[in-house]
Amino acid sequence: MPVWLREHSWRQSLAAVYLSLPLRGARATPANIFCSEQYLKVSIPPFLFEAVLYAPIDDTNSTARIENGNIFFTLYKKEPAMWDSLTLANADKEKLQYLRENAVLKAQEKAKEETEAKKITKQEHKKYALEATMKVEEAERKRIEDLKEKERQKVTKELELWKKQQKDGDNYKSIPKKRELHQEIQPLKERKNEKMNKTQIPNEGTSKTRLKSTKGSCSIFSQNLKEEKLPAPRAAATIKVNFTPRVFPTALRESRVAEEEEWLHKQAEARRIINSDLSELEDLKEEEKNPDWLKDKGNKMFAMGDYLGAVNAYNLAVRLNNKLPLLYLNRAACHLKLRNLHKAIEDSSKALELLTPPVPDNEKARVKAHVRRGTAFCQLELYTEGLQDYEAALKIDPRNKNIEKDAEKIRHLIQGTMQS
Amino acid sequence: MSAAVGAERPQVVSHVQQALSYTVFDCKWVPRSARLLCLGSAARGTGLVQLYELHGARLELLREIEKPKPIKCGTFGATSLQQRYLATGDFDGNLNIWNLEAPEIPVYSVKGHKEIINSIDGVGGLGIGEGAPEIVTGSRDGTVKVWDPRQNDTPVASMEPVQGESKRDCWTVAFGNAYNQEQRVVCAGYDNGDIKLFDLKTMSLQWETNIKNGVCSVEFDRKDINMNKLVATSLEGKFHVFDMRTQHPTKGFASVSEKAQKSTIWQVRHLPQNRDIFMTTGGSGSLHLWKYEYPAQRSKKDSEGSEMGVAGSVSLLQNVTLSTQPISSLDWSPDKKGLCVCGAFDQTVRVLIVTKLNKI
Repeated sequence: MPVWLREHSWRQSLAAVYLSLPLRGARATPANIFCSEQYLKVSIPPFLFEAVLYAPIDDTNSTARIENGNIFFTLYKKEPAMWDSLTLANADKEKLQYLRENAVLKAQEKAKEETEAKKITKQEHKKYALEATMKVEEAERKRIEDLKEKERQKVTKELELWKKQQKDGDNYKSIPKKRELHQEIQPLKERKNEKMNKTQIPNEGTSKTRLKSTKGSCSIFSQNLKEEKLPAPRAAATIKVNFTPRVFPTALRESRVAEEEEWLHKQAEARRIINSDLSELEDLKEEEKNPDWLKDKGNKMFAMGDYLGAVNAYNLAVRLNNKLPLLYLNRAACHLKLRNLHKAIEDSSKALELLTPPVPDNEKARVKAHVRRGTAFCQLELYTEGLQDYEAALKIDPRNKNIEKDAEKIRHLIQGTMQS
Repeated sequence: MSAAVGAERPQVVSHVQQALSYTVFDCKWVPRSARLLCLGSAARGTGLVQLYELHGARLELLREIEKPKPIKCGTFGATSLQQRYLATGDFDGNLNIWNLEAPEIPVYSVKGHKEIINSIDGVGGLGIGEGAPEIVTGSRDGTVKVWDPRQNDTPVASMEPVQGESKRDCWTVAFGNAYNQEQRVVCAGYDNGDIKLFDLKTMSLQWETNIKNGVCSVEFDRKDINMNKLVATSLEGKFHVFDMRTQHPTKGFASVSEKAQKSTIWQVRHLPQNRDIFMTTGGSGSLHLWKYEYPAQRSKKDSEGSEMGVAGSVSLLQNVTLSTQPISSLDWSPDKKGLCVCGAFDQTVRVLIVTKLNKI
């Protein structure tokens, strides 16, 4: 519960109200005072003073002075009139509440307006500053432009002067030149006529060239008369040139060299896979260069029991395209039959590698690969590894009875060896 | 944009800008005049030669000549000052020499190459240097041919790939070392980064190297002196400056290289009045002005006692961006120091003035 401050005293004039409020020892700061048009509050916890004023006041101009434990308010009335009392009597609670809220709202609005006004003035200041800097820069630019313009004009004047000199010089030269040329042309014309008459030329084409060459010789003569030092045309010769090799038809750019190298490298690789030992393969028939055809051939030979031949066929196919897993798979089978167990393991492993990712598509192939590898391991008496492979095969294809049977057998074998 | 601060640095001032209605591939000053030529290709696939005259702050079109094939390059290098015939190479491989007063029939014409002539250079004319006037052309068919306007139909020298060798495009050619009547050297740059130096006196390959990027432009600092420096520009924003005074038997010529910008450097042109200053034009529409500084000693002995050259250093004097499209051609005026014309692929030709070159 706040402690109400009630020992205030006040007096008034026509235009203002002077209110003095003693604070019972409390210290007041401007933040504790809240004043709006018709509401005045001083709140210094736990002390509280509030007054709903008799008539509206001009709260912007009113002042409050804090000194010696008192606050002296000078409130300027909006309408000059004598108040009956400081506060509104007969004010019921609701009205008071309403007035209070109103007051707060009004105060907030005023605060907002003030901030707005401040913002606007700030912006205007900024604008002004900007304009000022722009003006300064403009002046600088103009100065530079003027300098340039002056230079230009100076040079233009010089040019004009020089041109005039040229013209005068030319005019002076051209007159005697004309005379000289005239003199030269006369004997030349005669010589030309002689030539034309002597060598009756019906063909227009050649006559044109004749004319040209005489024209050329015209100038030669005019030159010779002045400086007789021109050597004869050079003896024709050819120089053979070798260029720094470049694969691409485009111009060489340093920044592209790395990319170009990479591309060439890739092309070389691709070609190598196809072309490796192409020299040896040159005497093979076209079909024999097709890995699929070779695979089929291999399969046939396997079926007929020619395991070595099959291996050869698969070898060649692998050389041509080492990315086909089936080639390795089938070669593994051949090796099994040939009892090249290590090779069988290698090939099945390679096939499995190429058969990643494990998808339903290559299930059958993977089963085969595992089975073949398992068999190879068992025949090498590496039963645990063999069992692993069989179990892997079972996992892929649980319904295969043969694999199950073989797996069982291996387990027994292992248990047997362990037991013994 | 260039910094205008630093009042001693040369400034590149854009004097006149002229919009054209065709693609301009080459622009050249007409010697001893304030006239310039623009060579290019019109939209309908024909070649155009336009002659402009510089009048104050604008260019006035004096003549327009249309030819059946688009024209790629041209030079005045092989004609006398009185005649000022223009030698052009076109998209079809034809080399023509035109008298601009009477351009209907060429003074000299030959179908020199099977494919477009990418670059042309002339020597022996304009009162510069000695010896026979000669024109060299480099073409996409991989050959470089040297022509004498007095000899029809066959080149006086031809640099061709060996039988059976696949050809590389020749992108640029330049003459050099023409300090007396017999000596001549042709330098050719190819799209696979090869630079080859052919000695015309001995008709042999004098030197070759590979700069790892297609060579867009080569130029000697002067054609008519004992060969001093060669600048070769390439794709990827690099250029190399070779010191050509000392040739090592195995290592060739010493060089310094600079990476100027990210885009192709299309052209290099030395200032006619100062052979240590050159301008490079870039694919990003920029121009860079460079100065070469010689090292303290231009040659030194290597471990075996043979002479080898020492390359100097290159410093950037100024750079400016004029356009968003590559500036494909640049020509300094031989008569007025600092005046140059450049043509860009945004169908604009610009006349520029480079100031303060005297103070360098």
